Amino acid sequence: MKHITIKRGHDIRISGIPSREIGATKQSEHVAIIPIEFRGVKPKLMVKEGDSVQIGSPLFFDKTKPDVKWASPANGIIKTIQFGARRVIEKIEIKVEGTDAISGQSFSSEQLAAADRLTILKRILDANLFPLIRQRPFNKVANPKDTPRDIFISAVNTAPLSVDLGTVIESEKDAFQLGITALSKLTDGRVFVTMRNAIELKDAEVQTVSGPHPAGNVGIQIHYTKHLKPHDLIWTVDAQHVITLGELFLTGSYQPNVIVSVGGPGATKPQTVSSKVGAMIKTIITDQDFSKDVRLISGDVLTGKTIENDQFLGFYDSSIAIISNTVKRPFMGMLALGSNESKYSLTNTFMSFGETIFDFNTAQNGEERAIVPIGAWEKVLPMDIYPNELYRAILAKDIEEMEQLGIWECDDEDFALCSFACPSKIDVGTVIRDGLNLMELEG
Amino acid sequence: MQWLRNILDKIEPAFKEGGKLEKLYPIYEATDTILFSTDVRTHSGPHIRDSVDIKRVMILVVVALIPCYIFGAMNVGYQMALVLGQSSTWQENLMMGALKILPIIAITFASGAFWEVLFSLVRKHPISEGFLVTCALIPLVMPPTIPLWQVSVATTFGIVIGKEIFGGVGMNIFNPALVARAFLFFTYPGRISGDKVWVAGPDGTSGATALAIPAVVKSQDAVKLLESVTQFDYSWMNMFMGWVPGSIGETSTLWCTVGALFLVVTGIASWRVIAGAVLGLAGMATITNFMGEMAGSTNTMLTLPAHYHLVMGGFAFGIAFMATEPVTGAHTNKGRWVYGIFIGALTVIVRSINPAYPEGTMLAILLMNAFAPLIDYFVIKGNVKRRMARYAK
Repeated sequence: MKHITIKRGHDIRISGIPSREIGATKQSEHVAIIPIEFRGVKPKLMVKEGDSVQIGSPLFFDKTKPDVKWASPANGIIKTIQFGARRVIEKIEIKVEGTDAISGQSFSSEQLAAADRLTILKRILDANLFPLIRQRPFNKVANPKDTPRDIFISAVNTAPLSVDLGTVIESEKDAFQLGITALSKLTDGRVFVTMRNAIELKDAEVQTVSGPHPAGNVGIQIHYTKHLKPHDLIWTVDAQHVITLGELFLTGSYQPNVIVSVGGPGATKPQTVSSKVGAMIKTIITDQDFSKDVRLISGDVLTGKTIENDQFLGFYDSSIAIISNTVKRPFMGMLALGSNESKYSLTNTFMSFGETIFDFNTAQNGEERAIVPIGAWEKVLPMDIYPNELYRAILAKDIEEMEQLGIWECDDEDFALCSFACPSKIDVGTVIRDGLNLMELEG
Repeated sequence: MQWLRNILDKIEPAFKEGGKLEKLYPIYEATDTILFSTDVRTHSGPHIRDSVDIKRVMILVVVALIPCYIFGAMNVGYQMALVLGQSSTWQENLMMGALKILPIIAITFASGAFWEVLFSLVRKHPISEGFLVTCALIPLVMPPTIPLWQVSVATTFGIVIGKEIFGGVGMNIFNPALVARAFLFFTYPGRISGDKVWVAGPDGTSGATALAIPAVVKSQDAVKLLESVTQFDYSWMNMFMGWVPGSIGETSTLWCTVGALFLVVTGIASWRVIAGAVLGLAGMATITNFMGEMAGSTNTMLTLPAHYHLVMGGFAFGIAFMATEPVTGAHTNKGRWVYGIFIGALTVIVRSINPAYPEGTMLAILLMNAFAPLIDYFVIKGNVKRRMARYAK
């Protein structure tokens, strides 16, 4: 079994670590799918306001690949379809009534093992769950017409305050195994499952990883397993979505469950709860007590997006972070010695050398400046890539150089720590994403 | 400090868009954020950020220079007392030296701030903290007798030509403080080189720096020659401590080392550059010692051993505070080794082979500033080559 050791990176010691045991199921009266969060998808509606939908019935499809449809995560009535500028579909909100689900063919593990690629692919497409599968490069919804080189599944979450996937997989091992068997039919290569502690799995190449974040990012795992070359195509599936796919084959219907971690310095009761795909944020954080000004984030604190109480959990997100939005302005702060309580830095520029957890807030801790390359980015990027040079090549829109410097292997989430550590407060990830968009456009 | 905060908050609207003093906003912004840490919040990307920022980085470089300032003042006073034949306490030395160097510091900061502010107003960019470092470095590389108007002109040249015309801190090719010194070195060599400028005293006070002595005397052993000097104590230990004539802040290898250690430990300076430079210096000095002997050269400098090179002239200061400047040096870790080694080796070459320029470190660093992008280019090319080989498989 292969073991990957990640040396560069950092586990941010942020306070409000969610408890590991999975708490009560949180019901949401409203759920929503946000079509604009799917990169490169041109949605075409299949429902209108007032329509009744069941769990698993299609809401919209992608005009560029009409086979790919999005399943409704709830049974109920389409409450609102919200359009933005130029009729972009921003939100499809469903009022939940009951739990009826569309039911289709189920598979025993023997049937699944004997099934061919087309059967499996058709079943996933018919269940409207294909958007659970994403592709690299570009980290977007995959195309069912492609056959990927390999499929990668990260069963390790190293992002701050995330769900402990080991516990989740442990409790749903059969569904996880079934999902892997199904996915193994879709590629001519192998299914790589990267874990912290290996468990026995069929139809997959199990490997282990150790080291700090971003060790759990699938992009990093691909980099250390088998580099992504230009024109290579890899599919990736989140571990929780592998379970969803497994349950589809096991029960014949879509189980829109998601285990969500709720944590961060602003969380009064950091916990892990069971919720539904697209659930309203306030229904997931009912146990939290809000008296101060906080920022809610759907996703992790490094890559998630700011969200309001009455908005909805992102389709691929499995954590909610709550951080204080109160930023103080200490007098002569730049001369302060600093302490474990007041400063947190990967450099030793403050007297904060402890291993204590830290109450982060939304402070940028400085203004944006030109790059002063003191090696902050390189220290947290465990890839054979020169981030500074790649960044410059992207700004210069030099496609050839971007390719030479390895942009195919990159995704913005792998560079989030670079932005975190950057003394010039540069948002590296956004620029990497711009570079990828440019590659996609030109390529 | 709430009263100060209140004042700043009260006058802020005048500097905002549409306010009376809108054009002076960068001045308000700089004052505001220097006095009180900024409250800018994250909007995209990571919602949480490391506590370090460029202000902190820059101010710590200034902090690292403080020992050199204090020792520099003491040494200037000590040399003055020595030449006058007086005996003095360290407090008196410090006072005398401080009186001598404070005007130099003041004029540097005044000129530097003027140009930095002017450029930020005209080009509408925020006032950069980087000028603090540049202005803190310049007085330390000046002889104590430097005329103030020359300091002002040099600072102007360093900030404007060395930095601002490239777009400010982070975009510059050459270290602005070294540009300032090089400017004086080539325009007014009489006041920054030779043997009349290093000791502040009555006019015409003579005192050659340690490097100048073996540069002019032929066919001697450099160490014996230095030990035979009676005017100053040019023993290794004394030069390491820094009680010798020279530029204000550069004489003490000890305090430069302390500053360098501080910068390395805080994570601002690259230890690779420093290690590379010391290796390069030691290597090249050993080679020149050996070659000089083999060729039967009459050049005394060729006999100067590595550990003397290390403590003489501006090497320690240049390596600690100028070669390690992250923007103008090599950006890749491998490149930093090469960059450092070349600086060390070139220092010895300039010092030994060309006696007209006994101070080789400044020229070595400036030259390598120019070559740093090329070094990085080759390092990156290696990475690209490796990747292309992988892709071809």
